[in-house]
This record gives sequence, C-alpha cells and structure tokens, in this order.
Amino acid sequence: MKGTRFIAPVVGLVIFFAAWEAFVRAFDIRPFVLEAPSRIVHYLLRFPNDYFRAALITMKHAVLGFAVAICIAIFLGAAMAASTFLEQATQPILTLIAVTPFAAYIGSVKIGLGAFSDKPVVFIVALVSLPAFAFAAVDGMRGADPSSRELLASVDASAWEVLWHLRLPSALPSLFTAAKYNTGLALIVAYLAEKGTGGLGEIGTRAFANNQGDRLWATIFAMAILGTISLVLLNLLQRAAMGWHASQRSQHS
Amino acid sequence: MTTAVTLRGLRKSFGTLETIAGIDLDIEAGTFVSVIGPSGCGKSTLLRVVAGLEPASAGEALVYGEPATSARKHKQVAIVPQHPGLLPWRTVRANASLLLDINQKANRSTTTDPVELLERVGLTKFLDAHPHELSGGMQQRVALVRALALGAPLLAMDEPLAALDEITRSEMRLLINQLVQGRGVTTIFVTHSITEAVALSDRVLVTSPRPARIIADIHIGLTRPRPDDVEDEPRFFDLCNQVRHALHEGAHS
Repeated sequence: MKGTRFIAPVVGLVIFFAAWEAFVRAFDIRPFVLEAPSRIVHYLLRFPNDYFRAALITMKHAVLGFAVAICIAIFLGAAMAASTFLEQATQPILTLIAVTPFAAYIGSVKIGLGAFSDKPVVFIVALVSLPAFAFAAVDGMRGADPSSRELLASVDASAWEVLWHLRLPSALPSLFTAAKYNTGLALIVAYLAEKGTGGLGEIGTRAFANNQGDRLWATIFAMAILGTISLVLLNLLQRAAMGWHASQRSQHS
Repeated sequence: MTTAVTLRGLRKSFGTLETIAGIDLDIEAGTFVSVIGPSGCGKSTLLRVVAGLEPASAGEALVYGEPATSARKHKQVAIVPQHPGLLPWRTVRANASLLLDINQKANRSTTTDPVELLERVGLTKFLDAHPHELSGGMQQRVALVRALALGAPLLAMDEPLAALDEITRSEMRLLINQLVQGRGVTTIFVTHSITEAVALSDRVLVTSPRPARIIADIHIGLTRPRPDDVEDEPRFFDLCNQVRHALHEGAHS
C-alpha cells in the first residue's frame, strides 16, 4: 500500500488540527493558553517576512551549534575509541553536561559571551548536543569491523586514515540517530537562549512577557515547522550519505 | 632462488597459551605454500606473524630479508582474510583500490590496475555496485583483486574460501590458480581443505594440534600451469591421501 504512506500522515495531521480547532472554539480557551490553529496561521501570514527572518536566525544558531558539536564529537570520539583511559575520564564530564538543566545556566553564559551576540546561543546548542554526538561517535567507531581494521593495519594505515576510511563511515548510522535526537533539543535550546538576537525565541519570550498569545503561538508553530523541515532534511541527507546501509535500503524496497 | 619467507625458532604465546612452538621454515620466492592443520592449532596466528600483524614471542620472521613488521610498513605483504572485509560504503571499484589508497607513499612500482583485475575476474558489470549487491563468491573475488592490485611480492591468504559453497569454492580454486601463477608472487595459503591445498600448492605444510609445529612438508609435483582438470588426475588423489595421513598422524601423535 504505497499510497497510504503519504496519505496516512496527512489524514492524521488534518484530524489533529481539526480536533485542536474544535477544542479551542468549543471551550472558548484564552489565546494565551492555547490559540486556535486557524488564528495562528492567519497571524503568521500577516507578518510572513518577520517570522521567516527570525526562523532563519534560529536555524543558523541550531545549525552552527550542531556543526561545532559534531566536529568536536568526531575528534573526541576517535580519541575516546582509541584510549580507554580518555573515555573513562571524559564520560563523567559528558554525563554532567547531559543531566545539568541548560535553562539554568543560559543567563550566565549570555553574560559571559555577550548578551546580544550569537556566540552564547551557538555555544549552548553545541554544549547540549555534544554528549549524544560523542557517545554515538565512540559507539560507532568502536563497532568498526575488526577484519577491516586488520586489513588497514596490514598496509600500515595511519590513525588519520583509519579514522577517515573506516571509523567515521562506521559511526555514520549512530551519528545520524544522535542527530535526529539532538534536532529537537538544539531548536529548544536556541529558542530559549536567543533573546536579544532576533530569532524566533526572542519574539516568543517577548510575547510571553507581554501576554501576547497569538505572537507566542505563532513562534511555537514556526518552531514546529522548522523542526519538521530539519528532520526531513536530515533524513534526505542520511539517505544520500548512507544508501549502502541496510536501514536505508529497506526504505526503498 | 630468493627466499621469500624465513622463520627461525619462531614461537608465539598469548599469556600462558602457547600457539606456535618453534617453527623453522624457508619459503622460496614465487612458490605457493599451503598450511593445513586442525582447527585452533595456530595456523592463522602463524600467518598474522608473517604478515607483521602480530609480533613473535621468540625467534624471528623475515619477509624478503626484512623483519615482518617492517615488511608490512613497506607493503610487502597483501592479505586476503577469511571474510572479504569489503567496506559497505565503497563501490566494488573503490574497494578493490582500498589498499592502494592507504599509505600511498609506500605503494610499489609493481601495482596493477584494480579495474583490469576486476575485469579478469568477471566483475566488469559490477564496478559501481556496492558489496551488498554481490554474492559471497563475488565479494571474495573483490578481496582477491584488492590484494593482487597491491603488487606485493607476498600474498597471505587466511582460509579465503572457507565461507563459500562447494561449487563456488571449486570455481575460486581455478581462478586463484589462473591469477596467481605466472605473477612471480609467493603465496602462503592457510586452509582446512586438503583438496584446496593440493590443487593450489607447490608445497603443503601440515601442522600439529596447538601449539603448532610443522609435522610434514609435502612437495606437490603437479605440473604448472595447473590444468583445469588437475583434480581428476590419479596423482592428485595420491597427494590428497598423503596429506590426510599426515594430518591423522599429527592428530594422534
């Protein structure tokens, strides 16, 4: 049933939004608590350029933070996969980063790195995304096929060559899984940290402070669209980069 | 004649487990030598020591006059592992050139174009295919090409046909004979199969149960180039029986 693959999600979403609309209208919910989807769309379409520009800023924060986290995770992962001592020394630090609520230290980081600059937002996105990427990199790299490792050793491959030709491609499946998990997280972090930078988070936090329900919900809606687009792009990237992997092949069959 | 491999008093232990118990051996350049023995006797360890992947615990292993570990760095040894170990993200063409792409500064002047070899083994139509699109026999042919393309004077094969079905094994025996003979390459071929050892080799070394010692060194005087119907010759059966008896005697000594 190939057709249902596209129809079913649309039907599901239409039912969800219809029920939401009906609920808000039937119980006359205040806009600040829950805005009706029709009004959110109407509001977004009144100021499309403002929200588009703000969404681009939020996307920039999330993508830059992601890129920094992935780069650090790959080198950290390679070093951790090669040294058990380093892995044991690093693990508690990564765990601390993962379990500490980032919302609590956003203010301190923003004061430290510049309240109106992109730097603290990118920094916090990178910091919060790092543990999942680093653990994924270590697992993937450790899982590289031992007979392939020996094959590369038989021609005296350098550590860099082993990383590039074997360990990194072996880690791609787990890195993509971590990226999907981190996408939502990175957008949440960017939203909460980007006050003063012009992103969706700034519009949202100001709307919240000023009791503007329609503006607040417009940013929430825009964030949801941004998250969906990010996941679709990530899936396309994964399909392009990992067509050889069983998980991607089964999607085509 | 040049000596390709020299082993003197070679011993190998893993902790208290002795796997190789004093082997002295000379292998002439350009010959095909099989090592056959019971499971777990240390044959593969012997091959790994010769390939410079495992240091000897005592004694020495020389490949074309230089220590095995140094020969490995100079790409003097090409290995064909039991499992093809093809990288799933590389095409057939890219897998065949893998060992040439690594540690390029050590590439020898005797390298062969992998595409030319792939054509010789009947994989012309699969140059851009990925490993998952190939049968087990085809994957092993790519592994063979990957090793031969390196142009190394010593080929170290570790039960490369063990995972294949009988018909494919028989085809691969013919293919190995066609590809290897006449290239002037020295081959050490670890196997469990008496037929394979006799069909392919100039010499068959029979090893004892662990720790490995050489208990018989059988000269195979079958003509070169080996005719395709060599396995139907009465002399072939006699030689197989000779190897079988040596194995039985070794097992009960």
